[in-house]
Amino acid sequence: MLNNILYILFNYGSALEVGLRHTIIITVTSYFTGLVVGLLIAVLRVYGGRWIRGVLGILVEIIRGTPMMVQLFFVYYALPEIGLLLNPVAASIIAIAINSAVYQSEYIRASISAIPYSQFESALSIGLTKSRAVLTIILPQAIRVATPALVNEAVYLFKYSSIAYFVTAPELMYIGKFIGSRTFLYVEMYIVLAAIYVATSIVLTELAKVIERRYVIPGLLKSKA
Amino acid sequence: MDWINNVQFFTYVGVILSSIGTTLALSLASFSIATIVALLLSFIEIFGPRPLVKAVEWYVKIVRGIPLILALFMFYYGLPRVGFPLPPLYSAIMGIALVDSAYQEQLFKGAIEGVSERQVEAAYAIGLTQWEVFRHVILPQAFRIALPGWINEFSMVLKDSSIAYAIGVTEIFTQAVHVAHVIADYLRPLLIVSLIYLCICYPLSQISSRFHKGLVEMGMMGS
Amino acid sequence: MKVDLLVVEDLWKFYGKEVILKNVNFNVEKGETKVIIGPSGAGKSTLLRCINLLVRPDRGRIVLDGDVITERRDVHNIRSQIGFVFQHFNLFNHLTAIDNVLLGLIKVKRLSREDAMRKAKEALLSVGIAEDLWRKYPAQLSGGQQQRVAIARAIAMDPKIILFDEPTSALDPELIWEVLNVMEKLSRNGMTMIVVTHELGFAIKVAHEVMFMDGGTIIEKGLPEQILLNPRSERVRRFMERMWYLYSMDRKFWRSENAK
Repeated sequence: MLNNILYILFNYGSALEVGLRHTIIITVTSYFTGLVVGLLIAVLRVYGGRWIRGVLGILVEIIRGTPMMVQLFFVYYALPEIGLLLNPVAASIIAIAINSAVYQSEYIRASISAIPYSQFESALSIGLTKSRAVLTIILPQAIRVATPALVNEAVYLFKYSSIAYFVTAPELMYIGKFIGSRTFLYVEMYIVLAAIYVATSIVLTELAKVIERRYVIPGLLKSKA
Repeated sequence: MDWINNVQFFTYVGVILSSIGTTLALSLASFSIATIVALLLSFIEIFGPRPLVKAVEWYVKIVRGIPLILALFMFYYGLPRVGFPLPPLYSAIMGIALVDSAYQEQLFKGAIEGVSERQVEAAYAIGLTQWEVFRHVILPQAFRIALPGWINEFSMVLKDSSIAYAIGVTEIFTQAVHVAHVIADYLRPLLIVSLIYLCICYPLSQISSRFHKGLVEMGMMGS
Repeated sequence: MKVDLLVVEDLWKFYGKEVILKNVNFNVEKGETKVIIGPSGAGKSTLLRCINLLVRPDRGRIVLDGDVITERRDVHNIRSQIGFVFQHFNLFNHLTAIDNVLLGLIKVKRLSREDAMRKAKEALLSVGIAEDLWRKYPAQLSGGQQQRVAIARAIAMDPKIILFDEPTSALDPELIWEVLNVMEKLSRNGMTMIVVTHELGFAIKVAHEVMFMDGGTIIEKGLPEQILLNPRSERVRRFMERMWYLYSMDRKFWRSENAK
């Protein structure tokens, strides 16, 4: 078993590297796109007009109510039918980013509503406009409150990006399957893949904890009741 | 859309819906197993001896890092190698249950720890024993705190069951893809299957947030 | 010469059918300290919020320094000229003490960083917040310190008037003194202030005029000694009696006639 694992690592190391690189590209791009769009959705859903709130609310429920698999297949297989052809990596990024944007918007929205109204009121009292009060007082606090959930989302996306396998994006899972079919060392290959995914997710989680501790603001992250 | 097309459309709906039983069985079975395992693990992590606590912590850390597809592959392709071949449906149930048990463990642990210290203190103050405090104060409150998240978790499992497509379980998503292959059109089957998922997940999410609001009103949770 | 800095005319506020403020009229002279007392639910807090336009009055006029602010659209410009000190301090939780003071100076007054810094330091020192506390977050400060930072945040903006909404009600008794002390100093230095408070000692000592509010309107106003010790209306008399009892003051102020 160990020999076989070493054999895979020795002979297919560079292929795994390519896979890991694509996994990282897909994860990072879709995560940050999702963060920016999610932030926008959250702000509009809290402070926007009736119409915007209504439309976005429906959109969020639709995305939250359907599997990411369906969304991915939709982007990769159904969009070409209306003339939008995307390569596997781009399709994966778009599908995952849309899904993530919605979930991240929900985390941010929840933490915006956790910031007491008195903070907003006192920002107005020193003469800030409403939009500035949101930008300089509410959002910085809300994002810090949402940080643990947003970090979890990043870890979640890293492993969930493996569904790009289904649309033949050359990420870790796809490369692993390929190596498995070449060598017939399926079990060993799965162990290597699991080790990479698990190690990365643990490292990411610990790193996030260190960063969080470093930038903690006393009294702000009282998330536990 | 003309009449012929409409007939076809409803035929697709029928074909896809014929697999709803598999989706529900798969989700309910894996979710129940995950709940039982997670309850046990969370009790161990909170009340158990130190080495076991560490073991549970590592279990959660490792399992949380494994992609669901990989878990399914491991059960479906890996187990036969050590002499336990499992049919696709059972492999999928095991794989989803494994991954979800880690998430539910965290949910339950958070809920038990979320019961306010002051509540526990007050319970001891009126003379309840440790078991009575757990039974009459911590457990009922933790149950209510966990409920909204637990309902959402079922939605997650239901949606994730679509990944069983990877090992050929014919649940509704697999069925939709089959239909798409036959009629060479993805748009309609995907819309149909989306609607089916929505019809289950949307009411669940409404129920969940209703319970959450109740919690906030009872003062058991910050807004 | 006496100049009216703030004029409130026929102010009304409704929440649905409920009347919160009805026909409120008063003037505040430049340099004057006005204290408002009255039972909870009297509309004192809403009145202050109306003056700062945090709440829009439904009827009536408010004139600040010749400017009819109830007719202005650029509400934030008005607010930057009016300081507001809240009952629960409402410091920005994610900013340090000095950043709390700097924010308005930089974002609203658009001062350069150095000028803002100079002003912020000056303001903090004037309320007795020494340098070792400047980099602390609100949660690391005592209630009294937080409230003094909040006062510094208000005075740094060079407001024309400062509104205090029960600034000591959320404080431990031993911390009340340090906040009242700062407010007294402010008043003596000629700041125009409206203070909603239950601190009768402060009212007697510092206020130029005391107004008693109940049921959304001003029932009686006059010199502190008169309102606090010898009110004309029965309603005010009953309230004051209880207040003095609460503060364990000598009952010699009271004639025996209210024993019946």
